[in-house]
Amino acid sequence: MSSELEHLDGGTAELIANADDREAEEAASRPDEPSLPPLEWLRANLFSSVLNTILTIVFGLAGVLAFQRLLNWAFSHEREWDAVRVNMRALFTFTYPSSQYGRIWITLGIALTLAGLSLGLSRMVGQGFSLKRISTWFMAWGGAVIAGILLVQPHAKRSANGEVLLDADFEPVRESFGTAMADRGWWWLIGVLLLVVGVTMWVGLGDLKRRTTFIGAIPFTLGVLAVLVSTLWWFHWGNYGEQGDIIEPGRTVKDSAKLPWTAMWVVLTAAYIVGRQIAVTDRAGSVRVLVNFSWLLTPFVTFWVILRDPAIDYAHVWSTDLPMAVAFIIGGGAVLFLLTKPGLGEVGRIISIGLFGVAIFNWVAAFFGIYPMLQKARISFLLLALIALAAHNFAGERKQRLRFVLAWAGVMAILHYLVTMINAPSTVDAPDEFVGGFLVTVYIAAFTMIFSFPLGILLALGRTSTLPIFRVLSTIYIETVRGVPFITILFFFSTFLNIFLPDGMEIEQLAAAGLGFALFSAAYLAENIRGGLQAVRRGQYEASDALGLTTVQRTGFIVLPQALRVSIPPLVGATISTFKETSLLAIIGIIDFLRVANSVVPGQTVFLGVRMEGLLFVCMIYWVGAYSMSKFSQRLERHLGVGEH
Amino acid sequence: MTDTQTSLHRAATEKPPFYRDATVVKWLVQITTLAVTLFAIAFLVREAGDSLQAKSIQTGFGFLEVDPAISLGEGIDTDPATGGRALWVGMVNTIRMAAAGIFLATILGTLIGIGRLSSNWLVAKLASGFIEYMRNIPLLVHIILFFVTIAVVFPDFGENVDPITGEVSQGPWNGVFHVSNKGFSVPRVHIDNGFYQWLIIVAIGSVLGRWVSKRRQALQDRTGQETYPVLSALGVIAVFAAVGWFIHPIFGFVGDAIFAPIRDLIDGTPQGPVQILLSVAAGVVAALWIRRFLAARRTPGGAAKLTDDDWFRVIFAGIAATIACVVILVLWPGLSSWLINSSRDFFDVLANKFGDGRGSVGDDPPFSVSMPDIEKRGNFANMGPSGLNLTQGFAAVFFGVVLYTAAFIAEIVRGGILAVPKGQTEAAEAIGLRRSTMLRRVILPQAFRVSLPPLGNQYLNLTKNTSLAIAVGYTDVVQVGQTIFNQTGRSLEVFIIWMLFYLACSLTISVVVNFFNVRLKIVER
Repeated sequence: MSSELEHLDGGTAELIANADDREAEEAASRPDEPSLPPLEWLRANLFSSVLNTILTIVFGLAGVLAFQRLLNWAFSHEREWDAVRVNMRALFTFTYPSSQYGRIWITLGIALTLAGLSLGLSRMVGQGFSLKRISTWFMAWGGAVIAGILLVQPHAKRSANGEVLLDADFEPVRESFGTAMADRGWWWLIGVLLLVVGVTMWVGLGDLKRRTTFIGAIPFTLGVLAVLVSTLWWFHWGNYGEQGDIIEPGRTVKDSAKLPWTAMWVVLTAAYIVGRQIAVTDRAGSVRVLVNFSWLLTPFVTFWVILRDPAIDYAHVWSTDLPMAVAFIIGGGAVLFLLTKPGLGEVGRIISIGLFGVAIFNWVAAFFGIYPMLQKARISFLLLALIALAAHNFAGERKQRLRFVLAWAGVMAILHYLVTMINAPSTVDAPDEFVGGFLVTVYIAAFTMIFSFPLGILLALGRTSTLPIFRVLSTIYIETVRGVPFITILFFFSTFLNIFLPDGMEIEQLAAAGLGFALFSAAYLAENIRGGLQAVRRGQYEASDALGLTTVQRTGFIVLPQALRVSIPPLVGATISTFKETSLLAIIGIIDFLRVANSVVPGQTVFLGVRMEGLLFVCMIYWVGAYSMSKFSQRLERHLGVGEH
Repeated sequence: MTDTQTSLHRAATEKPPFYRDATVVKWLVQITTLAVTLFAIAFLVREAGDSLQAKSIQTGFGFLEVDPAISLGEGIDTDPATGGRALWVGMVNTIRMAAAGIFLATILGTLIGIGRLSSNWLVAKLASGFIEYMRNIPLLVHIILFFVTIAVVFPDFGENVDPITGEVSQGPWNGVFHVSNKGFSVPRVHIDNGFYQWLIIVAIGSVLGRWVSKRRQALQDRTGQETYPVLSALGVIAVFAAVGWFIHPIFGFVGDAIFAPIRDLIDGTPQGPVQILLSVAAGVVAALWIRRFLAARRTPGGAAKLTDDDWFRVIFAGIAATIACVVILVLWPGLSSWLINSSRDFFDVLANKFGDGRGSVGDDPPFSVSMPDIEKRGNFANMGPSGLNLTQGFAAVFFGVVLYTAAFIAEIVRGGILAVPKGQTEAAEAIGLRRSTMLRRVILPQAFRVSLPPLGNQYLNLTKNTSLAIAVGYTDVVQVGQTIFNQTGRSLEVFIIWMLFYLACSLTISVVVNFFNVRLKIVER
């Protein structure tokens, strides 16, 4: 079976990446070509032959008609866009209480700070957008707005109390064309402004200058965001509400959102500027590592500490948690310091194997109830034993050993802090799950990537291993998971998982679904990473063998770094897929982003049956998320030079 | 000797202690992992058995034989008599959706992929806009959007009522083609009693057609004249099919004369010899494999020394054969009788099918057509059972998977076209080929060679993605399975059936794609 399927693996990403490369190359091969005058451009690109003229006319007409129908639908009096505006909080955070909403903003602020720093520190500085491109965007948007103003049919007339006036055939009475055009003053202003700015840029700059002047992609995006945020200060954006109820009639989205969003924009921009400043200093490398590490921690800290607001039992912390953490840091540190001593030989091996035996026995004993031990201690012990087994690979000078012990201390501190927080009860005043809506989507996607990544690496190593039993087990797992649809696996985890667990052990539906996501995604990641592993040249293995490195050293220090570098773009692709797949949570009854729009909003008494509007909004958010990630992956690919030969 | 030399010498000659011997550690770790994995699986399965028993939920595949008391929205049998039949209806629905989807998505995707590379700016922009729209939004959202849109856009079902007779009718062509917010219904073509006899005649025609095509191809290669080998082969098959339509009853004897005796022969076979035959076969296969394996390790200088991995393979083959024998003879004797019974049933079905339709041609044609009708349940008009009904759910899932996959296929086709070396285009232009001819004869054949493996991957994805039908209530295998396990509690069993079904689908698609992949490969001389 495997050989058949193996043949079909991958290839897609590579094929498309190569095509993108070739198109980019072709575009780059004629940078000095001056832009054509408008009429000649039309002739060359739209009316070059009889067939092309026919195609242009047919598709142009179809496009205009579709555009008109879409706009008429969107701006019809039957649309209730209030269903989206009023439910904005429900869509993004579902039942998270508004009294504690500051926590959401803090979480977003942390994410944006890190995003700004990462963008600022990034070494991928592309050319950005040329002024020519930007001015065409302005002209295109301006043209589209003006075309829209002319194409949309006049609005239905309303009576004094807001009811739509109907004629004898029960069709709405519409304004005259002239009144309609006059009513769309604001739209005229926006359209004409965009068009004028675009044309001025185009004409004023001259051909050479507009083609060779560039504005960075990130500053440009920040500028666009600034314009969007500033609209919150002068446009009311409809009513604000919670769970489908308009709380206070005069309170608008503008009132509730302008301050936090302005703050968010300032945070993002400030972090970006700080990042740019650091990027030119020689500390850039270590700050970059710190930021990446913070990214890894963010989902855990924001989810379990900030959003969940755990009630900490300080007496217990002082009496048990803190001493235990210190004991593990000092005791474990001492053991590791000893084990990394060069030339320790058999003694080290025996100590670490002994530790491992005790660690395993702790779990077995707890499982069968022989003696109890805190879960935190069991996890720490097992971690210590596993690191001890690998410790001799890190043997070196005193300074290196101290650094190794320091890393252990850091890991322990974070682990004990997080586990203490996770075990404390939540104080958030929400019905059952405190996360819902878009929050679930984001957190499931983030945790899936974090947990499936190590598992994917293990599976990929297993599948490419020379050890037959590991190879067979990994192959069976990967091919079985990849052979069945995701929804069946999700059903398996959300409905049957508890059947398999021993008595007294229960697992929440959301956690079970998350586990399903991680295990499913790992099989696909493993295939991506396997592609990377196969790209590592034979000579690298031989060289590390010649240096006398152990298998662990060879894999961890030589092979994996090279393999992972090659597989980064497909890994971003896997992140996009996971982000899109989170929508399947709606099927198994978890209230995620899609389910709020598809079931919760249409069920509210005020917006009974209003579904399309919410679904379109969901479409838009998913599109923006997935599209920006795929653009990012394309840039990353060009930066890494994958596909160059 | 210096110190270094001594230690090197020692390292080369002395054996390390057993716990550091690479071979020992390697196998110890592997066998421990295997044992832990097997133990964990056994433990979990036992836990599952216990907790199911505690909840007094029955287990086993018995539900396949029992009336599930459900009625399905659409499919070959909307009122299945057994659970197995219900799942089968679901499977047919999935296969129907997947096959139609693969066909249409390939065509659409190829067109859009070519459109993206068009020299016409508008067409290229529209194509890339379509691709970016489709592939950056989750398929489930697309499907739900289509589902909601269909209900809004298409007319109510049976909205035209005749004021005098009270009969309802549905446009655009009443009785033949109905389009409504409940879905589409079109005439259904289905195989009739004479089909299998007719199939024999077509098969004979195909063999003859192949021979003709080979002859004409040889003629073309020799003389350089255009001889239309494929067209003539198709012509021969068409002639046989047309003639066969009128004379197929002459093959009515096949059922009684060939398949019935085979059935009787299998029916008379006792179980014991089959068991022995199967275990001997397992042993022989293992022995042959080991012999071939050892032969491959033989060098001109004699038999090579076997490494520990080689020994593992040989021993594993032996163990596998032993386990197979134990299963066949002791643990599961029912396997042999099941094999006997099902092959008997298979030939019984064949005997019946080929024995049917010996009447006149008019009574038992190979195919017949049933027209869609309108059924009134109470006051509500609905699609009747006789036509081919594509419900709202079907349409939503179908449009969803086809357009979504078409976007990915378009990208693959674009990649394939751009992977064709530029020299090919230039050469084609140099010999004066027209653009359409160039595309058809030079670029697309080479592009498809590159894009076939990723295309196969997309076909697998499409098949798996049809399972999202559960969100809009189309009765595919997942939806039927979920209904059944909600009613009977047989969740694990249903999950196993799902898994086997989808694995079989994946395997079929990969085998077919691989077959073409091998055929399309450049033969290197």
